[in-house]
Amino acid sequence: MKTPAFRLALPVAVTILITVVLAFLLLPIIALVTYQPVHDLLHGFGTKVATDAILVSLKTNLISFAVMITLGTPFGYVLARSRFRGRSLVITVVELPLVMPPAVAGLALLVAFGRFGLLGHTLNILGIDLAFTQAAVVIAILFVASPFYLRGAIAAFEALDPTLLDVAGTLGAGPVRRMLRVAVPLAAGGLGAAAAVGFARGLGEFGATILFAGSFQGTTQTLPLAVYSLFEANLDQAVAIGVLLIIVSAAILLTSKLIVRSWTSSPSTSPSPGDRSIFAPS
Amino acid sequence: MLAAASLTKVFPQIDPNAKYTFGGSGALETEIEQGAPADVFAAASPKQPAALFARGLVDKPVEFATNTLVLIVPRSNPAHINSVTDITKPGVKLVICNATVPCGDYARTTFQNLGITAAAMSNVVSQTTDVTQTVAEVATGQADVGFVYLTDAKAAEGKVTVIRLPAGAKPGAKDYIAVVKSGKDQVAARTFVQTVLSPTGQTKLRAAGFGKP
Repeated sequence: MKTPAFRLALPVAVTILITVVLAFLLLPIIALVTYQPVHDLLHGFGTKVATDAILVSLKTNLISFAVMITLGTPFGYVLARSRFRGRSLVITVVELPLVMPPAVAGLALLVAFGRFGLLGHTLNILGIDLAFTQAAVVIAILFVASPFYLRGAIAAFEALDPTLLDVAGTLGAGPVRRMLRVAVPLAAGGLGAAAAVGFARGLGEFGATILFAGSFQGTTQTLPLAVYSLFEANLDQAVAIGVLLIIVSAAILLTSKLIVRSWTSSPSTSPSPGDRSIFAPS
Repeated sequence: MLAAASLTKVFPQIDPNAKYTFGGSGALETEIEQGAPADVFAAASPKQPAALFARGLVDKPVEFATNTLVLIVPRSNPAHINSVTDITKPGVKLVICNATVPCGDYARTTFQNLGITAAAMSNVVSQTTDVTQTVAEVATGQADVGFVYLTDAKAAEGKVTVIRLPAGAKPGAKDYIAVVKSGKDQVAARTFVQTVLSPTGQTKLRAAGFGKP
């Protein structure tokens, strides 16, 4: 026997739940955006430390993005198409940086590629010194962000109907052609979503970068590092750069949603990389 | 208890039961301005406590120790730094703290005292937000040389070698402590400050390499 009061209780509870969750997620962002008058906020976007950080972030992230796509796409394709002993071990290796705290990732990079690290001596002989260079920033971003793409790419390629690729093979397409002309276009939705998540993660990268590459304005100081450095010196500017990062990240998320929308009928969340729903009827 | 990163080792020795947050004095100042719950603020410079005192956020700061700025190099000393003048050699990777942190402020004063500001600053490859990061970048060998306090150099003994600064170049580093007005436990806060200033507290500070106030 359900009383009217009981029937009312559930929708009310649901409404409260949704409100609380949304408020919790939105409030910090609203606080950041409204922290200072719009005029000051815009001024913060244009300061030298902000523009320097934008340039460093753009350059290092675009380079690591290019490497991530160029090497990650064939890697994901090969891994998705092959079955061998130890395959799940390989996939675990790919996923490990995802669960590694960024500070640990930075420490690991330091003891691997640092001047006194495992490969430090070898790199030194080759005349390569990564300490405090933009190359170190690129490596940190790549290490932390590319697993997001790799995992998404593997899942996107696994979701393909293998008979399509086999048909392409019988029609005379070689393996490279099958990948580039058949698999990649078919998996484009999943790949695009994974790439967007990877890029957004790279843009926000902080812990590994500060440990492995240091922080210097105009060279290694990316946007998140600038926020951290300005926190103690100029909170207004730190907040302005924070807002800038949120705007860019939101734009990336929205873009990835649009990419996937063109491939699916009902995108409800930002797709997890390699969402199988790319094969939903459109 | 919000305390400068340079006090990370010694404060828990003075009072193991207090809850500490260590960081750059500048960042801690911002946190107190933003209303972080704290009872005591200890900084590596008079500047940050004085700024908070001027705004009525802390009681009158008291000097409780002095510190000595030194150079540290990795034990293998890859850039062959033997004196402060060597830091201006081309290609030396120098790490200092941000200008807003006492250790960075003192390093810049040293450059000015020696008249090497331009040459030294052009060798700076990284600027950190507290002194422990500077120590870490030198101790791991990423940097050739860094400006830190003698007390931090002691804490990293075995990994770094200390190079003392000439007496005329050395800025006087002074550590200040103050009770935070909005703190919940004013009595405990005052007791802590007294412990730091007491002979027991001062003995522990001396043992860690801090000088008399």
